[in-house]
Amino acid sequence: MSNPGSLPASAHHEHEHTPLCRSCGAPTTSPTPAPWSGTTDSPPPAYRPIRLPAINAPTNTAAIVLSPVPQPLPVPPAAPPHAFLVPAKRITSPDDIARFHASVHGLHFLGFVAALSASVHGRKLSDPLPSPPSPAIAALLDLVSALAALVASTPPLPHSSRYGNPAFRLWHEKLTDSASELISRITATASSPADLAGADVELAPYLLDSFGNATRIDYGTGHETNFAAFLYCLARLGLITEPDYPAVVLRVFTAYLDLMRTLQDTYQLEPAGSHGVWGLDDYHFLPFIFGSAQLIDHKYMKPKSIHNPDILENFSKEYMYLACVAYVKKVKKGPFMEHSPMLDDISGVANWKKVNSGLLKMYKAEVLEKVPIMQHFLFGSLIKWED
Amino acid sequence: MDPMNVDNGGCGGLDAQIEQLMQCRPLAEQEVKALCEKAKEILMEESNVQPVKSPVTICGDIHGQFHDLVELFRIGGKCPDTNYLFMGDYVDRGYYSVETVTLLVALKVRYPHRITILRGNHESRQITQVYGFYDECLRKYGNANVWKTFTDLFDYFPLTALVESEIFCLHGGLSPSIENLDSVRSLDRVQEVPHEGPMCDLLWSDPDDRCGWGISPRGAGYTFGQDISEQFNHTNNLKLVARAHQLVMEGYNWAHEQKVVTIFSAPNYCYRCGNMASILEVDDCNSHTFIQFDPAPRRGEPDVTRRTPDYFL
Repeated sequence: MSNPGSLPASAHHEHEHTPLCRSCGAPTTSPTPAPWSGTTDSPPPAYRPIRLPAINAPTNTAAIVLSPVPQPLPVPPAAPPHAFLVPAKRITSPDDIARFHASVHGLHFLGFVAALSASVHGRKLSDPLPSPPSPAIAALLDLVSALAALVASTPPLPHSSRYGNPAFRLWHEKLTDSASELISRITATASSPADLAGADVELAPYLLDSFGNATRIDYGTGHETNFAAFLYCLARLGLITEPDYPAVVLRVFTAYLDLMRTLQDTYQLEPAGSHGVWGLDDYHFLPFIFGSAQLIDHKYMKPKSIHNPDILENFSKEYMYLACVAYVKKVKKGPFMEHSPMLDDISGVANWKKVNSGLLKMYKAEVLEKVPIMQHFLFGSLIKWED
Repeated sequence: MDPMNVDNGGCGGLDAQIEQLMQCRPLAEQEVKALCEKAKEILMEESNVQPVKSPVTICGDIHGQFHDLVELFRIGGKCPDTNYLFMGDYVDRGYYSVETVTLLVALKVRYPHRITILRGNHESRQITQVYGFYDECLRKYGNANVWKTFTDLFDYFPLTALVESEIFCLHGGLSPSIENLDSVRSLDRVQEVPHEGPMCDLLWSDPDDRCGWGISPRGAGYTFGQDISEQFNHTNNLKLVARAHQLVMEGYNWAHEQKVVTIFSAPNYCYRCGNMASILEVDDCNSHTFIQFDPAPRRGEPDVTRRTPDYFL
């Protein structure tokens, strides 16, 4: 398997580092240990926990309210000649998280997500887009279609558990076998395809980790983030450009989301690192960001409209946020405010612009700044780890 | 309220708190602190292999599903009329972890010999910071003090229990570092759940169809086969290992030719799994009966106030 799951319990970590102050190099105070995520009762992260408990951890309200809203940023082009390499995991500690977010690619990756969001402000899924789509968009849509066809040819196997149909491993093997060829169809759309020889070596691991973990047969926001990283790498290579962003969200990402729903339902993927009721959703985060952007300045629909069954029924096809809420209501039983208190609370926010900016802040804090999720994030030459 | 008020007029104050909790109304922060101090005094005296007498009803994961815990008591009988053994994972995922764990701790303080509460892998600082209990405490109390109080208390929960010297009960499963019960007794359990080693394994391991020890896909603990459990049961003169930790659709699942059983007591887990829950009644002749149950019927919308999360202010 190209992407192994978490370390086996017998793994040892010979080196522990006290974080050093950037200014003078002296040891700093140990941070509160970071939590970890994964499957139900999932593994601890690949670092030794800090023994100190949180002592009267202060409420974070001021820090959260005052934190800046992530802003769209252009993706810095990666100029040839390229030195593609197999990406590797680099994040194992809160210090690494801070280092990533202080780096060029930490800033620009989040800026990319914010730019994708901004590109669909006020847009319905059915809004006309350039036709035919750009070659890279067409190739991406073909990629998702090909993977969906693999589901059709890989039926679930009989098994008794609620989660984790082992046929997903077969599907993932087929994905692994076809990844390089599917990626080469995208790189072939470049203005200078020869410059991108060997790009699949670096791009494939992101793609392979975008649909869930084949060992644990689970899926969560970390895998979704890997798909965004895959798109970011394509943007760095100039394969997708800013004029493509609406199509990336409204066509490619929605096709990816449809595929993920199919995979989740067909193979019963376990929610990875689910916070249960206290998270936004068991599987996804980005469609809520993009979907709330779509609804900004909508004349009639407000955040509280999610409680109107007619609105959900009639408009889910056009707005990702509504589709996500409708899906949650379909698969979960019991009172909405009990099984989805976060979504219920967000429905009380005054307007979609506030929802969108809040979700971007929340994505940074709850996904991109969490070691258990980001320990699986990959770094190569396109998203470079800066030592 | 100071600690003495918990025992106002004997057990009157505590009984009032239990009554309040049974209505799904959380205690005040200071009441929680005082309650946990009392619980710590009781729990620190318990063994890592806590002896339990039959009759006893053995329960699996609850995961904050308070109304389903009340349903469990309705079906299995009220504590202390019925003796209970809970095998951990009281918190995380569900909406009511605070009410759930507070009630179980309060019952432990009120009826220390009628209820046994073991530690699950979710009774941990690091796990609860991810899977919901921390967020819930922040939301319901406005700060993390109650989270700290409970996670400090979790360190004192016993790791395993032994029913009539025959049924070994624990949250997860066996460990390659543990061959006999004395090895469990000698562990220093008062610590955060380590990410490897025997204490970790007891809270994280799972039985498997394959023989021998295996690497757990969870990344912590091990999988163990029938040969392992047979050897362990033989060495320790046990009839059965009862454990929780895994969602099973019928609420219980036999393994290893009825020498290992998984019990899961959170019906329709995460509001989406559609599973039954069950409890295991062991009567005073040590015969076993599983009782399955469905989610508690809901009566109206929960008494919840909508508030704006900080990200959206």
